Amino acid sequence: MTPARFLETRGAAWDRLEALVRKARRGVSALTEHELHELTRLYPAVAVDVARARMTRIDPQTQHRINRLAIAAHGLLYRRQRRRVWPAVIRFFGRDYPRLFRRLWAYMALATAVFLVGGLGAYATARLRPSTAYLFIPGEVDLVDEEPGLSPEDASERFRRIPKPPMASHIITNNIKVAFLVFASGITAGIGTCYVLFINAMMLGGFAAHFDNSRLGYELWSFLTPHGALEIFAILVAAAAGLRLGLSLAVPGRVTRNTSLKIGAREAVQLVLGTIPMFVVAGTIEGFITPSYLPGSAKIALGLAVLGVTLAYLLLVGHGREKAASSKAGT
Amino acid sequence: MDTFDFIETPEHVELEQPLAGIGSRFLAGFVDTLIIVGILLVIFLVSTLSLTPDPFSEANDWMIAFMIVFMFLVFWGYHVYFEYRMNGQTPGKKAVKIRVVKEGGMPMTFSDVVVRNLLRLVDGLPLYPIAGVAMFVTKKCQRLGDLAAGTVVVSEQVSDFSARTDKRVRAEWQAEAGGAALRATGLTPEEYRVLNNYWMRRGQLTLEARWTLLPQLLEPILRRTGQTLANSRLETLEAYVELLMRQAWFAEQETRTGTGRQSKL
Repeated sequence: MTPARFLETRGAAWDRLEALVRKARRGVSALTEHELHELTRLYPAVAVDVARARMTRIDPQTQHRINRLAIAAHGLLYRRQRRRVWPAVIRFFGRDYPRLFRRLWAYMALATAVFLVGGLGAYATARLRPSTAYLFIPGEVDLVDEEPGLSPEDASERFRRIPKPPMASHIITNNIKVAFLVFASGITAGIGTCYVLFINAMMLGGFAAHFDNSRLGYELWSFLTPHGALEIFAILVAAAAGLRLGLSLAVPGRVTRNTSLKIGAREAVQLVLGTIPMFVVAGTIEGFITPSYLPGSAKIALGLAVLGVTLAYLLLVGHGREKAASSKAGT
Repeated sequence: MDTFDFIETPEHVELEQPLAGIGSRFLAGFVDTLIIVGILLVIFLVSTLSLTPDPFSEANDWMIAFMIVFMFLVFWGYHVYFEYRMNGQTPGKKAVKIRVVKEGGMPMTFSDVVVRNLLRLVDGLPLYPIAGVAMFVTKKCQRLGDLAAGTVVVSEQVSDFSARTDKRVRAEWQAEAGGAALRATGLTPEEYRVLNNYWMRRGQLTLEARWTLLPQLLEPILRRTGQTLANSRLETLEAYVELLMRQAWFAEQETRTGTGRQSKL
């Protein structure tokens, strides 16, 4: 077929498809039922025209035009089904997330190990040689009170007077930010994640040792546990996500590095998104319950209970269908 | 660095999707950043101006709490929300007519959107140096977030050819290139069409078919130009057709490049 004949026979179809694509620019819902049928009929023919245009010696402008036209129509016809938001959220937290957590337990174990080595190492060092506690605690935290007369009671009284709602929302947003950072820095083959995790573990270990050295350990834990138990756990989950991302890049296994990264990133991002509710709960506790007048033992019990519920959720939810799915896969 | 991503359609046709360059992507990012800063400013001003002067007011506390949450949502959610709802576009990307799609042209899933936007943290520290380097060294101009999510940013800028000028140029091209081809070969339009058809499809014909068909096609042409068919082998005849087609092709090429230059002026 000559170029001239090609243009002659197919030009009308292109013009029509162009008109339809233009009309559907705001969405296919702008088309009538008839036009929609026309679109589905015209597009495959024009896609074939693109291939034929490359064979025929046709002018580049026209080639370019029908290529664009085919892409535009392709974009209109092949799109992902829009999913309803709430059913997807419910399925994610009701089934997929705990299952994902259990499948990636090894990364969680690795993150916990890094955290424990840093934390316990710093704790042991600072307990054996108290003067080293300052090495683990960042400079901006001044352990010597600015006002020498300020008793611990007065200090916590001041803390209680900070308005609670802004405190809670600031803590929640800030922690989620940190979790995102711990996750994203995993792209450095996991080194960034380990670094952030290790530094923070040493800081916590240093604090714990310093307070134990001053025999104020109970005060520290009754302050940290109510929110901190869940908060630290959630950070470990985010770190596990970062390690999943990083190790998929560093140790691709039997697929290409590129493919491995894509698979890893997909799982990792789901793992980190699931920590958001944990931070909301932990931050709300930190803003409203930690500064309350409840006795320390009650606060510690609450913190451990919240962590226990979270763990129970992650370990127990979604088993039934998992079994059904695996038995189906087995048969 | 390639300038195209190839979309393999379910019809098994490869479409060439032009990729967005670093320049347009930064421009889109700049526009989006301006919009984000604008929204944050509005949230900040509205909530601070609506505070009551009472220093012990609980309403104030809640107002500030919600302000912090809203600002967080806008800052972190802007790209995710728009790229998901607007099928790979944000207002900035829409303004410069670029779009994020999966490699191969399909729209992104929610996880893809979140992956590429959370990795902004690494790509973008500060002013996107890592993204810039990554986009230079990857074949499809991808930053780290794109690599992890398996996405590319494509350009949807329509060429400045309106349909009407397109038609006019096409008509000119047909007339001139076609005319040149005919002038160069001395064929009538019908003869040219038939021979060209034969030439394009000869690979699909059996040798017997070619041997019966070609003399019939060539006979009137040769008779008109005073040549004779006698004892010619198939190779000779096809070489003659090839010569004619090549002449036509070169004549068309010359006319086309000439027309192309003129039409741009």
